[in-house]
Amino acid sequence: MRRGLGISGAGIVALAAVYALALGYTPVEARQGLAQKIFYLHVPAAWSALLAFSLVGLASILYLWLQDARLDRFAAASAEVGVVFSAIMLTTGPIWAKPIWGTWWTWDARLTLTLFLFFLFVGYLALRASIHEPGERARFSAVVGILGMLLVPFIHLSVYLFRTLHPQPIVLKPSAPSLPGEMLRTLMISMLVFTVLYIGFVTARYALTLVNEIKEGRSDG
Amino acid sequence: MPRSLQLALAVAGKDIRAELRSRTALLSAIVFAALVLVVFNFARDPTVLAAVDLAPSVLWVTFALAAMVALNRAFNVERENAAIDGLLLAPVSREALFLGKLLANLAFVGAVELVTLPLFVLFFNVSLGRALPGILAITALATIGFVSVGTIFSAMAVRTRFAELMLPVLLLPFMVPPIIGAVQVTSRLLSGRPLSEMWGWLRLLAAYDVVFVTLCTLIFSAIVDE
Amino acid sequence: MAEPPHNGHYMIAAYVVTTVLVLGYWLRLWRQANKV
Repeated sequence: MRRGLGISGAGIVALAAVYALALGYTPVEARQGLAQKIFYLHVPAAWSALLAFSLVGLASILYLWLQDARLDRFAAASAEVGVVFSAIMLTTGPIWAKPIWGTWWTWDARLTLTLFLFFLFVGYLALRASIHEPGERARFSAVVGILGMLLVPFIHLSVYLFRTLHPQPIVLKPSAPSLPGEMLRTLMISMLVFTVLYIGFVTARYALTLVNEIKEGRSDG
Repeated sequence: MPRSLQLALAVAGKDIRAELRSRTALLSAIVFAALVLVVFNFARDPTVLAAVDLAPSVLWVTFALAAMVALNRAFNVERENAAIDGLLLAPVSREALFLGKLLANLAFVGAVELVTLPLFVLFFNVSLGRALPGILAITALATIGFVSVGTIFSAMAVRTRFAELMLPVLLLPFMVPPIIGAVQVTSRLLSGRPLSEMWGWLRLLAAYDVVFVTLCTLIFSAIVDE
Repeated sequence: MAEPPHNGHYMIAAYVVTTVLVLGYWLRLWRQANKV
């Protein structure tokens, strides 16, 4: 538990450093102005949310196969942390969109996917909260986790068949990233920091669940 | 006929007969759909928006809501009769059991849709004409998609405390791709657009159906077995 | 070259929201850990 809090605590300190980098070190983008700097928070949060979601899916498949309760606990922790990062995405996204695109929300591919991830996470957690028997809860959650994971490509494809407003990816181009060096470096550092935050939070949340289970076990026996 | 298919049909037949005997769920779902259509009619300004522009959306939102009501009711009846416990004790294949439930739910939701469609034509004065076979086809395609996931989720939801709320919360995200596709295709069918414009959506819906029917069939045992 | 648009307040809003969410979740975990 303390390890988890420690890791995420370190992550938060590192986040402060990212803030400093993003605000001071990186240049101001000519067309987008200062609002562009939301990029250094929004994209890594998206990465963490997607990571959290994929791991919930993976843990769900492994749970149904191996029946190991640790996988279920991990999936639950990852889902809760995923909600936090999705919330960051869903708030910073529109805040960034308003000055740049002139509208708080558009139904383009990535924003829509974010919204769906959020709903899937919330549905997953709501289901868990309404089942008390641990075995049933684990099995049912795993089913939702797997189905949710398979839904995502279909959401993406559906929205893709509509036009999309989202800027094309400018970081992972094979020829050369069109981002100036300072921006790229800050982005990479921020992604690392958000990953550390994910690991720390999940560790802490996992430990919390474990401790609660032990407590409940003691009060029963 | 392979044994599992026989079993699936038997299960489906049992459920359908049970529902036909009482008929309450079917009737309430139909009345619900009709009421939704009425609300939609009063929720728009006919001088601003032509019926035909809104038609696909109105039709599919109605279908989606009615399907939700139908799915909820279907499993509640099941639970009240504790019939499924008896079935589970027997050494029957879970896949066949799921397919039976799916067929019964499809028949159920399909019946609601078949009654709602003429009501829709009546209330909104939309002429289907040559689009009718296409509309029936797309309805079938989309319905298979969301009823398969809906059967899994309603089986789970009845075992939770807030079943009526849990089902929509879980199912609605999964209804979105079929509904997007269905509305797009319906809209093009009603305007008499060529098939080439709908092909992408049709393939998407077909893929969705294949993936989710297969997955749900395989995953059903995780829900009913300890 | 034209001046970039004055939209710093959006940036501040986003950074504040992110801080609140991250710190808030950390505090929630910390408080629950201490209750145990």
